[in-house]
Amino acid sequence: MLRAPLQKALSLPNLRQLSPALRGISSTPVQLEKIEVFVDDKPVLVEPGTTVLQAAAMVGVEIPRFCYHERLAVAGNCRMCLVEVEKSPKPVAACAMPVMKGWRIKTNSDMTKKAREGVMEFLLVNHPLDCPICDQGGECDLQDQSMAFGSDRSRFTDIQFDGKRAVEDKDVGPLIKTVMTRCIHCTRCIRFASEVAGVDDLGTTGRGSDMQIGTYVEKFFLSELSGNVIDLCPVGALTSKPYAFTARPWETRKTESVDVMDALGSNIVVSTRTGEVLRILPRLNEDVNEEWISDKSRFSCDGLKRQRLVAPMLKNENGELVTVEWEDALVGVGRALLRAGEKSAAVAGGLADAEALVALKDLLNRLGSEALCTEHTFPQDGSGTDLRSSYLLNNKIAGIEDADLILLIGTNPRYEAPLLNARIRKTWIHKECDVALLGPKVDLSYDYEHLGDDTTTLKKLASGQHPFNKKLSAAKKPMIILGGQQFGRQDAAAILAAVQQLSQSLSSSINDKEWKILNVLQQVASQVAALDIGYKAGVSAIREDPPQVLVLLGADEGTITRADLPKDCFVVYIGKLSVTLNLLPGHHGDQGASMADAILPGATYTEKQGTYVNTEGRTQQTLAAVTPPGMARVDWKIIRALSEVLGESLPYDNLNGIRQRLTEIAPHLTRYGSAEDANYFVQAVELSKTVKAQLASTPLDVKLKELQDFFMTDAISRASPTMAKCVQAVLKQKTSKY
Amino acid sequence: MAGNVVRPGSLADKLQRFKRIVDQSGGWKGLFLRVARIDEVKEGRLVGVDKFGNKYYENPMYFLGRNRWVEFSDRYGYDYDGSQIPAEWYGWMHYKTDRIPSEDPTRPKYKWIKDHEENHTGTERAYVPYSTTRSKIEAWKPPKA
Repeated sequence: MLRAPLQKALSLPNLRQLSPALRGISSTPVQLEKIEVFVDDKPVLVEPGTTVLQAAAMVGVEIPRFCYHERLAVAGNCRMCLVEVEKSPKPVAACAMPVMKGWRIKTNSDMTKKAREGVMEFLLVNHPLDCPICDQGGECDLQDQSMAFGSDRSRFTDIQFDGKRAVEDKDVGPLIKTVMTRCIHCTRCIRFASEVAGVDDLGTTGRGSDMQIGTYVEKFFLSELSGNVIDLCPVGALTSKPYAFTARPWETRKTESVDVMDALGSNIVVSTRTGEVLRILPRLNEDVNEEWISDKSRFSCDGLKRQRLVAPMLKNENGELVTVEWEDALVGVGRALLRAGEKSAAVAGGLADAEALVALKDLLNRLGSEALCTEHTFPQDGSGTDLRSSYLLNNKIAGIEDADLILLIGTNPRYEAPLLNARIRKTWIHKECDVALLGPKVDLSYDYEHLGDDTTTLKKLASGQHPFNKKLSAAKKPMIILGGQQFGRQDAAAILAAVQQLSQSLSSSINDKEWKILNVLQQVASQVAALDIGYKAGVSAIREDPPQVLVLLGADEGTITRADLPKDCFVVYIGKLSVTLNLLPGHHGDQGASMADAILPGATYTEKQGTYVNTEGRTQQTLAAVTPPGMARVDWKIIRALSEVLGESLPYDNLNGIRQRLTEIAPHLTRYGSAEDANYFVQAVELSKTVKAQLASTPLDVKLKELQDFFMTDAISRASPTMAKCVQAVLKQKTSKY
Repeated sequence: MAGNVVRPGSLADKLQRFKRIVDQSGGWKGLFLRVARIDEVKEGRLVGVDKFGNKYYENPMYFLGRNRWVEFSDRYGYDYDGSQIPAEWYGWMHYKTDRIPSEDPTRPKYKWIKDHEENHTGTERAYVPYSTTRSKIEAWKPPKA
């Protein structure tokens, strides 16, 4: 199987030995003798197969480069990394050349400098002088490196006045703006598309000065990870379309935060200026998102500015929501809550932070109510949510890279968690890892064994009668990823029990006792924290015992509608925005803010310091990049103020206070950056045997099957015009003959 | 020698001028109020009064630039400023012309000319141009019941 054609093309004898050098993956089984080389006369011991560039990096010498990227295959075509090696007649390309014993590399010699200046001169001859109107200005590798390594004068004279080489721009979709004249043909975007994203749409045509990067035919470059080529592009050839001509990097404030668009909690940097979120960039975190983020995380930030709740509202006698002062709103809500007392309930949405969840739970508990639910369900039978291991991605995201067999059950990770899928693809390419899928047949961007979407297959797997069981038990590190969406089914408990039993049956045969098998991929950012804190998963409790006051904490998925509630039920909505109803096929009528009797405007993840626990159980926090708009306030502070009105003041009044309360409930909730391990798999399986529910005959299904389903999934992305454009682009591409 | 001629700049001249100033200010009380309000006492010829009640004085004894001044109408109290001088007196105050508005036949008189208005900056009536930028946040509007 030609999974890594570029690697093979290098035709080096032992790929296994070479791969760590090329990819930075540390799993070389054979320890080889280290060799000594000298970088600028500094000795360094490196593993065989290490490139000159990596050896130089080890002693802190950074060699300039355009085409080389740590996470992509080596191309070696920009020639910027040329360095002199003693006794070598020509300079060598540092990114592609493995070091030999005793080499003396000179990164600062006259020959190196001359080579760099020459390469830079050639690049600039064919590069337009449009830095003042280029969006890459200020974060452009070509700008920086021509300052640092280029010559101080140019020999380029356009005596014929026939202009520089020019290339027509391409239309590759609503996210990426192309100015192809600026392209320096580093091919990073091509390599990213084919290696990481798994979409072989980009390539080169022509050669010499006629070489062009593009899709060859008129086609959009559509992928759930496409925005990353903007970061990868060292020049301004690929820039962000929604961000075009918006700001310069030195004008913006950067806030390190965490994404909440999926359950992975990708690390991001929020760029803001004058109290407005301008763009979102990825932040390096090897354990979660490496250095990529999905297009939804990157481009849905314009949804933060639309459909916002900016002032508290109360329903008047005509049944219309009217803007009121905070005091009136709090008194109105407080009165209803006092009247309801223990007949009050709450539903937490997918974007709620742990602080708000805790404050709301404390408040309702003080009123005597235990009816606190999450929108997304989880079976309560068996161990339910008591054992953390049953609802976490126990092997962690980075653990995927160690797996040798991955079984996906009822999930489409490509659109439910694009970066998890990118990890699986990375493992599938670079390691001996096989993937199988039980669920609807979808394009995962890599080959997999499809086991059908029948629940009887799951039953057979659990009882060890399926042919695939042989493969599973032969695997040294098998991994089973169960999609959180399946918990919405009627027979969720039976599915979970079957998967738990299957995992348990495999655990006896694996050698590594630390290796977990069962993994659950959650759907939303708040779910794990909510379950950790003790929310009931699913709103069935509310349906069975309709409350008099229902508090919706950013819950706008429409799991509870007016029809489920008594007529006189008072609905309070605390949240950031409401959904545009016409954009939502299948959802109509009242939900979220539209069904509310009172609206208390909350903050989005860019506006508050909030704790989120991702699907692997890693606690991370968002930082406030901007202030909440208008009268909107941070969610937990609203609840705290409400408690004061009720005369049930919660015992914390600042962030430290509530974080202390978080620690009191579950210490891992404030251990930022670390993922707490979960255990008790055996006990969970024992309890799962008590589950009476039987597997239903309906086949396993997933909601997000194709790219157009991916873009608009929550309150923020549904309000985003850019995401709407993406959906349209995908649908338009479908009608194209390419 | 004519003993009754006072030498300019002499003590007698200064005392006489001070008396004229006291008289013109309306006695000692008036002098005190004038000092309190405009920090300066001057004698001069009343040249004219505009429709707001501001009085314009001239005294060529003072050097150019200080020889024409305005005493703002009492209606302004202590809140007087230069923008309260109406446009028709502006030219005389700034030595663009020596003819006061009533004596200048060349001045156009149209009935559509609006009354002079002072600068309202810093007050509630300050001029604020309408915004041409898009709003940063689009608020959600609740559906009509």
